[in-house]
Amino acid sequence: MRLPSLQGRRLVSALLFAGAALVAGAVIGACTSDEDQQQAQAVEQQTQQDQDQPAAQVSGEPRGNTIQLIQDRGTLLCGVKQTQPLFGNRDEDGNVTGFDIEFCKAIAAAVLKDANAVEYVDASDASTRFELLADGQIDILIRTTTITSSRDMELDVDFAQTTFYTGQGFAVRKDSGIDSTSDMANASICVQTGTTTEQNVADHFTDIGLDYEPTGGLSQDVAAAFFEGRCDVLTADASDLASRIVVRDNADDYKILPQIISKEPLAPGVRDYDSDWKDVVNWVVHGLIRAEEIGLTQANVAAMASNPPNTEVARLLGVPFEGGSVSTLGFEVVDAQFIQRAIAAVGNYGEIYDREIGDAIPRDCTLNALARPLPSEAVDCGPGEGGIMYALPYR
Amino acid sequence: MSTQAPAPPSPAPGGPAPAGDVPLFYRRGFRRLLQQGLYVAATALLFWYIYDALNLREFGFGFLNDPAAFKVANQWLIDVDGVTSSRIEMYLVGVWASLRVVFVAILLSTVVGIVVGVSRLSSNWLVARMAMLYVEVFRNTPLLVQVVLVYAIFLVGAPIIQEVLNIGDFAFLSNRGLAIPWPVPDAGWWGAPDWFVGVWVALLIAIGAVAMTVRRQRQVRERETGQPHYANRWAFGIFAVGALVTFIVLGLPVSIDRPYVEGTRYLEGMVIRPEFAALTIGLTLYTGAFNAEIVRGSIQALPRGQTEAANAVGLSAYQRMTLVILPQALRQMIPSITNQYLNVNKNSSLAYAVLYDDLFRVAGIIQNKAGHALEMFFVIIVTYMLISLVISALMNFINARVTRVGV
Repeated sequence: MRLPSLQGRRLVSALLFAGAALVAGAVIGACTSDEDQQQAQAVEQQTQQDQDQPAAQVSGEPRGNTIQLIQDRGTLLCGVKQTQPLFGNRDEDGNVTGFDIEFCKAIAAAVLKDANAVEYVDASDASTRFELLADGQIDILIRTTTITSSRDMELDVDFAQTTFYTGQGFAVRKDSGIDSTSDMANASICVQTGTTTEQNVADHFTDIGLDYEPTGGLSQDVAAAFFEGRCDVLTADASDLASRIVVRDNADDYKILPQIISKEPLAPGVRDYDSDWKDVVNWVVHGLIRAEEIGLTQANVAAMASNPPNTEVARLLGVPFEGGSVSTLGFEVVDAQFIQRAIAAVGNYGEIYDREIGDAIPRDCTLNALARPLPSEAVDCGPGEGGIMYALPYR
Repeated sequence: MSTQAPAPPSPAPGGPAPAGDVPLFYRRGFRRLLQQGLYVAATALLFWYIYDALNLREFGFGFLNDPAAFKVANQWLIDVDGVTSSRIEMYLVGVWASLRVVFVAILLSTVVGIVVGVSRLSSNWLVARMAMLYVEVFRNTPLLVQVVLVYAIFLVGAPIIQEVLNIGDFAFLSNRGLAIPWPVPDAGWWGAPDWFVGVWVALLIAIGAVAMTVRRQRQVRERETGQPHYANRWAFGIFAVGALVTFIVLGLPVSIDRPYVEGTRYLEGMVIRPEFAALTIGLTLYTGAFNAEIVRGSIQALPRGQTEAANAVGLSAYQRMTLVILPQALRQMIPSITNQYLNVNKNSSLAYAVLYDDLFRVAGIIQNKAGHALEMFFVIIVTYMLISLVISALMNFINARVTRVGV
């Protein structure tokens, strides 16, 4: 386990040095071969010694107390995307808005008692987002980031509860006559570059035995090409597709196929080895989901807090039930009312979804629906459909 | 040098007076030892640093043999299926894509450079100003901007495939690309019986030999008589006519494949994709502007007497340029033009911005999936260096040939 930033710097320096050394080595090699050999042996011994020591000092050590850091600073440094409508986007007035932003606010409300005490750090660049986190330039990364085993294991990042489930999907023009990938024989497909996007498409088309013609590149570039008619199909995360389409004037001309060919659970990321901080983030997300499950909303949370209908609501909101004592739930690092403040700031999960995403990505019967909706809000779903948003118990 | 190094106090051969009371630090021998010591130490440190960095990770190229599991369009003369082929094969597909762009851009930018460079010196006010405007616009704006702009113009300007521009049922233009007729072999290599290729190549060699002989004879006669005998034109004509006649006599086994549009796809024919076109045109316009300046500079560097002498013997403006000025200017411009060709190679990596799958982008896809950034960059650097070195070698060869004559 090593810091990615360290790897990054090593990589760049090593490449620079490699170039310089090639030249230097060629010059030196001719005249001082004896010295060089001795040096090389010395180097080998030196490296051998290095290997005997633990490779990385980071492993297993506590990484400082992020909550303390945030509270001392008075602001939460939230790494967000600023180029993707619906999720994290900067509008003309410079305001950052979106689904991910609401979770920054909720966490700030929980930890700092002020939903506006957030500094939105631009983490739009996918290639440096994890380094921002590892270097401590942000406290938390909420930026449509997929949990994968390799990221979890190799990078200095721990993932909290998933806030949005999506997967690689396909967007087409409504008048294209394409209803599923089986209609895409020899189609021209704009493929957004990603860690596995290209492979997902290739694998899928091999499975269904069809050929296609890919044109690949960065998200905004391939989207632009698709909307100009360069390709029949655009493929990326379904949430990404929706956000590209919804901002267009002719959004109604396009549709996203229901077919999903990969798993992309998007979750907040925190630094490795800071369990308290990860716990708080986790339980804020679960708290917002739980609030929806039991009908707590931004509008009624104050009333509920002053007069909790049952012991669970009292526990969740950190208020006494019928004159009893307040349960801290064991959260010594934040006070008992942290979830109450989060709900008051941004509403429950369903309210956030409706406000920030709404009909752009329908929620009913997708993975993002509640696994246990209130009876009054239950929707009939087809076989194999249904939500998996399920809050863990607060007790 | 290493033999000198162990003897610090003795002055170098041919050095100044013996050391005597010169302080140690100012002695030449000590200075040399110190310099070499520092150099060796610095180099060793660099090697150690690299060695150390490499040791921290699994360094190796084994991952390149794994299945690629992605596809790349725009393959010409090859058809590598990304699903079953290995990563290194897909990388070579990218290298081939880069080479095609570099080759075409070098050819076109040279033509543009010569035409515009000569135009800049034209006595026609409009021609000279147009050439200057072109040079100043394309030389003073970033290549990335130009490439992206050309691509955007193609995407927005060309009709969508549903409204494809039909050029006489012969070619089709849309923002999916330009589809043109293309010769296609009927069967086998170029559709011929196996012996065809051998026979034709043998005939071509024979015709070539005849052409060269005629050329030499006409050159000799031109020198003897002073009358123009157009040796090159004759040689080229003989070769072209001979090649065509033998080709037809042997049966013309190639049919012309005319493109057509079905639904939203081009079928048959040859499709020049907008990504390829944008990158090639961008590189051509940008490099052409620099080449034009090199051509102009080389012409202006010639002594004015050359022009005056050409005028004095009564050559026309065209003859003056093609017989006197350009042949001399060419020799001067080759080293500078070589630099521009190397830049074309390096700048072709801007393919990234126009969705063209060159070697850099394919390497990026591999790296995204497999990691191993260090190895991948090593491969990329070596590839670009190899291409550059080949271009340099070819240009040095040409340079040696044209300067051998001596002015």
